[in-house]
Amino acid sequence: MDISRELLKTLLMELCEINGASGNEDKVREYILQKIGDSCECSVTPLGCIIARYKGRKPAANRLMISAHMDEVGLIITGINTDGTLNFNCVGGVDPDAVIGRQVVLENGMMGAVGSKAVHNMSEEERKTAPKFDGLYIDIGVNDKAEAEKILSPGDYAYFTCGYSDEYGYIRSKAIDDRAGCAIMLAMIMEKVPEYDCIFTFVTQEEIGLRGARTAAFAAEPEFALVLEATTAADIPLSEGDKRCCILGKGPVVSYMDRSTVYDRELFGMSKKAAEEKGISWQTKTLVAGGNDSGAIHISRGGVRTIAVSVPCRYLHTPCCVINEKDYFDSFALAIEMADRICGGNI
Amino acid sequence: MDRTELTELIIKLADTDGVSGCEDSIAEVCADIMKKYSNNVRIKNGNVLADFGTPSDKKPHVLIDAHLDRVGLIATSVTEDGFIKADCIGGLDRRLFPAQRVIIHSMSGNIRGVICTLPPHLKSGSTVMEKDQIYIDPMMDKDRARELFSPGDFISFDSPCTELNGGRISGAALDDRCGIAAIIKAVDDLGGNYDELPYTFTVMFSSQEELGERGACVGAFEVDPDISVAVDVSFALSKGENPSKCGEMAKGCMIGIAPSLSRRLSKGFISCAEKNDIPFQYEVMNGSTGTNADRFSVNRCGSEAVTLSIPLRYMHTPAEVIDVTDVESTAALITAFLREGE
Repeated sequence: MDISRELLKTLLMELCEINGASGNEDKVREYILQKIGDSCECSVTPLGCIIARYKGRKPAANRLMISAHMDEVGLIITGINTDGTLNFNCVGGVDPDAVIGRQVVLENGMMGAVGSKAVHNMSEEERKTAPKFDGLYIDIGVNDKAEAEKILSPGDYAYFTCGYSDEYGYIRSKAIDDRAGCAIMLAMIMEKVPEYDCIFTFVTQEEIGLRGARTAAFAAEPEFALVLEATTAADIPLSEGDKRCCILGKGPVVSYMDRSTVYDRELFGMSKKAAEEKGISWQTKTLVAGGNDSGAIHISRGGVRTIAVSVPCRYLHTPCCVINEKDYFDSFALAIEMADRICGGNI
Repeated sequence: MDRTELTELIIKLADTDGVSGCEDSIAEVCADIMKKYSNNVRIKNGNVLADFGTPSDKKPHVLIDAHLDRVGLIATSVTEDGFIKADCIGGLDRRLFPAQRVIIHSMSGNIRGVICTLPPHLKSGSTVMEKDQIYIDPMMDKDRARELFSPGDFISFDSPCTELNGGRISGAALDDRCGIAAIIKAVDDLGGNYDELPYTFTVMFSSQEELGERGACVGAFEVDPDISVAVDVSFALSKGENPSKCGEMAKGCMIGIAPSLSRRLSKGFISCAEKNDIPFQYEVMNGSTGTNADRFSVNRCGSEAVTLSIPLRYMHTPAEVIDVTDVESTAALITAFLREGE
């Protein structure tokens, strides 16, 4: 188990450091394909999803797809101004207030600053008004449009800086949503954990509408799906009671319903039972909030019985996602248990 | 000191701690550097002071100052759940607080944190965080947090400098660490022989400017100069700023002209810049300056004061931007002035 934990941490760090927003997942895919090597039979779909067919020690009674998304939220350059600054918009749900007043890294590795009028020169009204993408721009240190055009073009992506830290049992980084899911799946493959044959899908474009998963599920044609995610936790002072949604340190989240899916009732019950029998702490969300690839997968073809196991994560879709490492390890353990129970025909 | 060395110096200074009232580490770094140039370097009442030249009644004494401190936050309490409630030090823009990386300077050392925010999924529209909603997540279990942190812990933005295109730098504390760098470069370029200069001078790196020039107040009393030069940053033109209030990036040092400054001294610096082909621009203000010069001019029975400002974009954000050539022209102007007089 200790080796798995070490591996889980290394994989998460390396995956988070890679930049890959929706539609721009190439580098994440390259990394994952290289790590899988020849331990699965892999194919890549037209939208860039990886379908990795895993050979277990036994044939499976049920056809299971285990899925996580490779993309992260990011920024896309929409235009270059005459003064050489860049206009941009978000890819996926990013709030402008999580972008203003910090550095970003362009797709080509160059750095930019997302500045703001100095607070000294703002009116009271301006200080109280949240920023909008319309008023923000990236300053890359050039003086005019021609200089900027030599460096990049509209359509290039920009990313949060990574800021990875791992101390006192908590991990902070950009892109933990959903590199945590990718890392768990990679660790399962690399350690050859699942007993039974199953299909791992690393999908694209979740953040802009569950687009990769929809096509990957069609291609993989599963009977069951297990989605591995990072889900929103608001266990912070700005939030109280059930508004906290889920709580770091209380274990993986098994959802009964979110904005995209009502989860399979029997699988929901089975997850609770599996966790309890294995001594893994678990929780449900106290709000019907968020959504994930399950939304696309469970209505694929004639329908797929679907469940999601998620790592609770604070400050989702910001440069500083924060998770508790025990929740992450426990999500790995629960995912293994679920995979084996579903594939073993205990349902 | 060439451009690479200067850039390294600016980054080293800007990446050092030192929120107003907690400048010990940056003061030590600066004092160590000044010891290479002066035999009389001391840290007194939070200010770093370094004297140059043999004191003489015949020579005017010049104070050249930049401030040590950077804006930040301070812990006011630790919640039951182990989060740190904080208040601002210096003028800060709360619109950019959500999910900012910070460093908490606790009694047990520096620890990373994040300013709490609700994710987009759970927010109904964007509002700006109120003054009493600033919490830091120290990313640890509550028992440990309650043990490690206490009210009074200083907090700074964790935004290390990064180089942009074309010799520009973005970072959190360029205000006023680039001013310190300009002074160090100026002294380095003088190359010794201080007794041959028309002045004696003291370099001061002062504390608590962001809280109302408090370090400058006591430091100027100590130094008792005839002429004072406050080297600070000022607004560089960027989108949304008023051009009449701003300098421009890469157009040189901004020489201050204001009713509260010495007109003779401002003119002296302008002619010095012209004579030596040093790029400069005017910074005209209509009263006081909002810099340490406001303290210097009314120190004791008064001293002639001037401001030299490095144009800086996005002031007091973790993504301030400067152009290294503006630091160079500011340094060149200080060196020329000390050599040639006004």
